Amino acid sequence: MFLTIENYLFTAAMAVYLGGTALFFLFAVTKKERHARIAGVLITVGFVFHTLALVVRGIGAGRLPMANQYEFATSFAWGICLCFLVFYYRYRFYALGVFAAPILFLVIGYAAMQSREVRELMPALRSSWLGIHVSAAIIAYGAFGVSCAVSMVFLCRARLLKNKAWESYIPEEEALDRISYRAVSLGFLFLTFVMITGAIWAERAWGSYWSWDPKETWSLITWFIYAAYLHLRMNRGWRGKRAAVFAVVGFACVLFTYVGVNTLLPGLHSYA
Amino acid sequence: MRFAMVLLVILASACLAGSLIPQGETAAVYSGSYPKPAAGLILALGLDDVFHAWWFAVLAILLCLSLILCNLIRLPALIRRTKDGFSYRACASSAAEPILELGEKPSALFRSLGFFRVEAPEENVVYAARNRLGIWGAWLCHLGMLVLILGFGLGQLTQFDASVYGIPGQTKPIPGTDYAVTIEDFEILLRPDETVDQYTTTLTVSDGGVRTAGGITQVNHPCKLFGMKFYQNSTGWGADFTVEKDGSVLQQEFLCAGELAHVKPVEGLTVFLRAFYPDYAEDDSGMPMTKSSALSNPAYLYMLYYGEELLGMNVLTAGQVITVDDYTISFHDPQPYTLIQVKRDPFEGTAALGGGIILAALLLAFYCPPMEVWAVRDPDRGVWQVFIRSRKAEDRLHRDLLRAAERSEYNVSDH
Ligand code: HEM
Repeated sequence: MFLTIENYLFTAAMAVYLGGTALFFLFAVTKKERHARIAGVLITVGFVFHTLALVVRGIGAGRLPMANQYEFATSFAWGICLCFLVFYYRYRFYALGVFAAPILFLVIGYAAMQSREVRELMPALRSSWLGIHVSAAIIAYGAFGVSCAVSMVFLCRARLLKNKAWESYIPEEEALDRISYRAVSLGFLFLTFVMITGAIWAERAWGSYWSWDPKETWSLITWFIYAAYLHLRMNRGWRGKRAAVFAVVGFACVLFTYVGVNTLLPGLHSYA
Repeated sequence: MRFAMVLLVILASACLAGSLIPQGETAAVYSGSYPKPAAGLILALGLDDVFHAWWFAVLAILLCLSLILCNLIRLPALIRRTKDGFSYRACASSAAEPILELGEKPSALFRSLGFFRVEAPEENVVYAARNRLGIWGAWLCHLGMLVLILGFGLGQLTQFDASVYGIPGQTKPIPGTDYAVTIEDFEILLRPDETVDQYTTTLTVSDGGVRTAGGITQVNHPCKLFGMKFYQNSTGWGADFTVEKDGSVLQQEFLCAGELAHVKPVEGLTVFLRAFYPDYAEDDSGMPMTKSSALSNPAYLYMLYYGEELLGMNVLTAGQVITVDDYTISFHDPQPYTLIQVKRDPFEGTAALGGGIILAALLLAFYCPPMEVWAVRDPDRGVWQVFIRSRKAEDRLHRDLLRAAERSEYNVSDH
């Protein structure tokens, strides 16, 4: 029963997100503010459905819905949406939606392709660290997703501004750069937390807090890349374009850590 | 700095190689799965075991040196700034412009923005600072990194790691120590749908019979005895292995799947229990498989060797035996064994401390930007001119201050 309700809610969320994404694209073509505003409302409504879907699944499964590939994908999309909405309403710029909504749709689309069966957790996953670790990962990934979207706006800004109609919808370069930096800082803090809680949990479950399994290694690579981003930005004045490219590359690593490692590389984390 | 960033990139690339190339395989595996020059390169550079290669350790040490150097260089300036960098005097000598003017003394306004200690360093002056510790964020982050790497590295060098397996009733020595583990009980708790809920081993540890201590270990709940941690690591099947002649038992021991036993009465004869199937069946191509994990139709896949020579290989189901000359060899009473990992890492706490420092430091670096505000009364006009100084959050402070002033009853004029 729960699964059916969750299915409806999830499908509704996806449909509304799709509508929002389409409207953001329409906005990109028409530059009519009304379209962007409705798109923003649709994404918000989708977020409500999505949240309910997660809650219903959690109740049905009797645990946090964060344990297999589907659950993590849908939670990941939820995190991106949450971070998007926070930055969207805080900084109020519509062009962000044009770039963030497709990322959101991509991740939830990936979730939709996964098996939705509710499985019991294997003993190693039955730990309160699971919830802490994965919730933090969701925020970290969401923040990196937003920084990637903002950086893409940055990189396309000059081209977009050839059309004067964009002017009132895209902030100054400096503001974009700062928003992206704030998102990366948030993501970096949470990524660090994810790695530390993961290490504590691995120690309890597998007897070793760091065993260079591919997922751990890739999160470390991602961490190094964002650490380099923070340094180059602060000490070498790598702002603007170069920082934006870095943020996009960083998010590509995040995606690989999440999707690529599970599907392409073997390791302890791959049972998810 | 530049050197450190190059190091970070090299380390990231090494990690990349370490995650893409299978680690710790034999040379034959690499020559089998890579073209010859690539396989040669992998082995020559130690890319088959990146994370334990000497050059990886060198990279880590270089990173540490760079961190130490960088922190040492910056330490005096940080101490100086902490001591007297935050003061009205330092602010007054900066070329700050007033951001607004108020009709009265803004102490309460500053307090409402989180500047709780408002001082009056001189007549007609108020000054306040917050997040002074924020300047230590990056420095502490580097320190945390150092502590973490140190803890991890020393742990790798000094940790003790062994595993012990067995069935209830067995006592096994912990390799490399004077301790022995007795497995008192091993329980697999199943859920209604037959999936495993939890594995629980009850054990006693003794040091040569002088002192003993007991504990329970479960997945995610290791127990600590005699300074060692005991982890419920995994489980598998095994069975009693018996050699008989004329109805009398000459040899009996518990053999785990994957283990080899010497048939003691026959010099040179060994039996390898290659696999165990609790619910035996054959798949479409006639290969042995198990239908479930329930113990309903046990079968044993064995290989029999005389010296190096393979004498036979077959599947035995219940009641079937191997006969060699006058000897009868059989497997019976299968049961799951428990595998316990025993570990001692004296530097685990050091690494954890490093992680904690990094987290706190990042909070400081990103979310506690140092800020200073002060106001000076212009005696001629009777207004208070408000100034701010913050390297990292000037815009935000400016905005917050203007907003707070507007909301308040102050008589404001904006600059
Ligand atoms: C993996 C290793 C490292 C990590 C995780 C790390 C982390 C950080 C962080 C989080 C910051 C603050 C960034 C911000 O506030 O936006 C920072 C700043 C800085 N780091 Fe590192 N760092 C590392 C290695 C290094 C090394 C090896 C050096 C130098 C040789 C270095 C030099 C600096 C400098 C000069 C700053 C600027 C601090 C300031 O101006 O406040 N870092 N680092």
